[in-house]
Amino acid sequence: MKLRLALLSLTALGALTFAAQAEDLKIGLASAQTGTLAFGDQPSLAGLQLAVDEINAAGGFGGKYKAVLDVKDTRSDTAATVQAAQELVASGINILITPCDADPSIAAGQISQPAKVVTFTFCGTTPTITSAVGDFMFGTYPADNAQATVLADYAHEKGYKTAYILKSPDSAYTLKLPEYFQQVFTKKGGTIAGEGTYSMGQQDFAAEVTKIKSLSPQPDVVMTSAYEPDFPAFIKQLRAAGVTSPVLGSDGIDTPTVAGLGDVVDGVIHSSAGLPSAGTPLEAFAKKFTEKTGKPFDTVYIANGYEIGLIIDAAVKAAGSLDPQALRDAVANLKDVEGVTGKITYAGTDRMPSRDIALVELKGGSRSLVKTATPNPADVPAP
Amino acid sequence: MEFFIQQLVNAISLGGIYALLALGLAVVFSIVGLINFAHGELMTVAGYGLFFAIGVSLGLPIAIVVAIFAAVAMALLIERVAFRPMRRADVTGLLLTSFAVSVILRVLFQNGISARGMPVPMPSALAGSIDLGFAHIGVIPLLSIVATAVSLGGLLLFLKHTVVGTAMRAAAQDFAVVRLMGIPANRVVAVAFAVSGVLAGVAAFLWVAQRGSVDPLMGFVPVLKAFVAAIIGGLGGLAGAVAGGFVLGFLEVACQAFLPAAILPYRDAFVLGIVILILVLRPEGLIPAQTGKRS
Repeated sequence: MKLRLALLSLTALGALTFAAQAEDLKIGLASAQTGTLAFGDQPSLAGLQLAVDEINAAGGFGGKYKAVLDVKDTRSDTAATVQAAQELVASGINILITPCDADPSIAAGQISQPAKVVTFTFCGTTPTITSAVGDFMFGTYPADNAQATVLADYAHEKGYKTAYILKSPDSAYTLKLPEYFQQVFTKKGGTIAGEGTYSMGQQDFAAEVTKIKSLSPQPDVVMTSAYEPDFPAFIKQLRAAGVTSPVLGSDGIDTPTVAGLGDVVDGVIHSSAGLPSAGTPLEAFAKKFTEKTGKPFDTVYIANGYEIGLIIDAAVKAAGSLDPQALRDAVANLKDVEGVTGKITYAGTDRMPSRDIALVELKGGSRSLVKTATPNPADVPAP
Repeated sequence: MEFFIQQLVNAISLGGIYALLALGLAVVFSIVGLINFAHGELMTVAGYGLFFAIGVSLGLPIAIVVAIFAAVAMALLIERVAFRPMRRADVTGLLLTSFAVSVILRVLFQNGISARGMPVPMPSALAGSIDLGFAHIGVIPLLSIVATAVSLGGLLLFLKHTVVGTAMRAAAQDFAVVRLMGIPANRVVAVAFAVSGVLAGVAAFLWVAQRGSVDPLMGFVPVLKAFVAAIIGGLGGLAGAVAGGFVLGFLEVACQAFLPAAILPYRDAFVLGIVILILVLRPEGLIPAQTGKRS
């Protein structure tokens, strides 16, 4: 009898503890805090952490759920990402966040989709991430095809007639983004003067650069979605060889490393989720971030991580509960969420949000805004 | 013609860097029978040396010296801490030790410095190219060629004309006999590691000058290339390592320059395919190492 009572009270206690935990919004992160993707995942986490702290302090997500973060480092390794996702999903998380790249995000999505866990990629931009996984997978960052469209529009406006594109088959981002650019650019009357490929991490671009140099006439513009460490190596060798054609890049080079390269990157224009120029909400956010964390706001990935917090908050508010299906539907129907880089809309998209894209120019170690644009949906190539 | 000459310069320059790296592996392997996979991390250490020295505006020449010293100090440190206690271990044990050292160093860089890349701004004088009339040659490729030539020449003089150098050449053939001659083993091994550190430091400067940034994982690709080059050349032989480095550099540049665009994405497969072909024809490598040992 005593034993039964003890057991009963234990069960009751267990139920109580469970009830207390069930009130929390559990966000699991299978995130690349070290390795090649850390350039995007580290600042994204810093931003998300700030959002979670603020929203928790203001009463919780949707006004009632305190969020807890469970961060597992994936070392930028896809297999480790899957393992981390498995552990997190098994621990009963409500939301999963995956690294800044298509491959680990799609792999982790194979775990979270059947378990009906709403999943966001931190800053993966490949538009096929969401369709490759299913209806519980969401992107947040401007998609590759949208970025490419804005870049191609810009090239067209500048009157560039010929373009050289440099791509790498080693990742979807480095391969598809220049191809989307090519599609839009040629549709608007441009021609491709040539295309080159590189291996990621190879960093010797001398042979490729010599090929560009020997083109006659020189291309009006060189476009690539290479990022670190390939982009710095490429641009240095391109300029050293005496090629003066303007260079267009994508959001992958929106990092302090690239700005710190000195005058060799002067004039490079790249797409970005936003730039904290004077008077913008992003500038106010940058100040707040530095005040609260003591760290410099050195990349827009921080704002992106923060916005994921805002998106989750808006979705929980709309859903009114943490029910997986309700939460998913709420995210998919979000409209004009007031982010720090602009408005973010999921309704009517295939879960890669529609949002503003900034074009920024590097000069003297800092960036200035060229323009902000939302691509015309009719121009954006199908993923 | 200009295209061809420029690609030739590219090939010599890249081959030179690979030669320096392969030589760094070979110097250690010839004496202790260890393929030091932490060699790439010596480069990373040198890269951070450059980064910090340039960060406190020491000027490039001093920064290069700092970088080389950093690599040498790290080479001596890992020899003393990790490899000396493992001296009697078999090849597998040594190999695993070197992997462990490599991983530990990478984690230290990630947690102690930053997992993200750091920019290493190079003077703009290095960014230009020189007009030779018949071709434009980049300053950095030229610098690579000169640095490689100077390093190789210096190493040759050191090996031929100093007692330690002679002892090292002898140790490469038969370490036991060298010890019977009264040469302290620890000194020969330490010097071998120091030499590999110098080579890693020089290679790191050339590598970083090209890429413009340093990150914890930057040593991975170069050490892989060095390993391939050392194998092509004939593992353990110094002349072989240099030859292997140049062959690999030439193959890579030639494939990049002359493969048609449609199959260019498979460049690495072509390069490694040719490497396999070389090894099928010459299983001991291009210039087999002379050694008293039997493998």
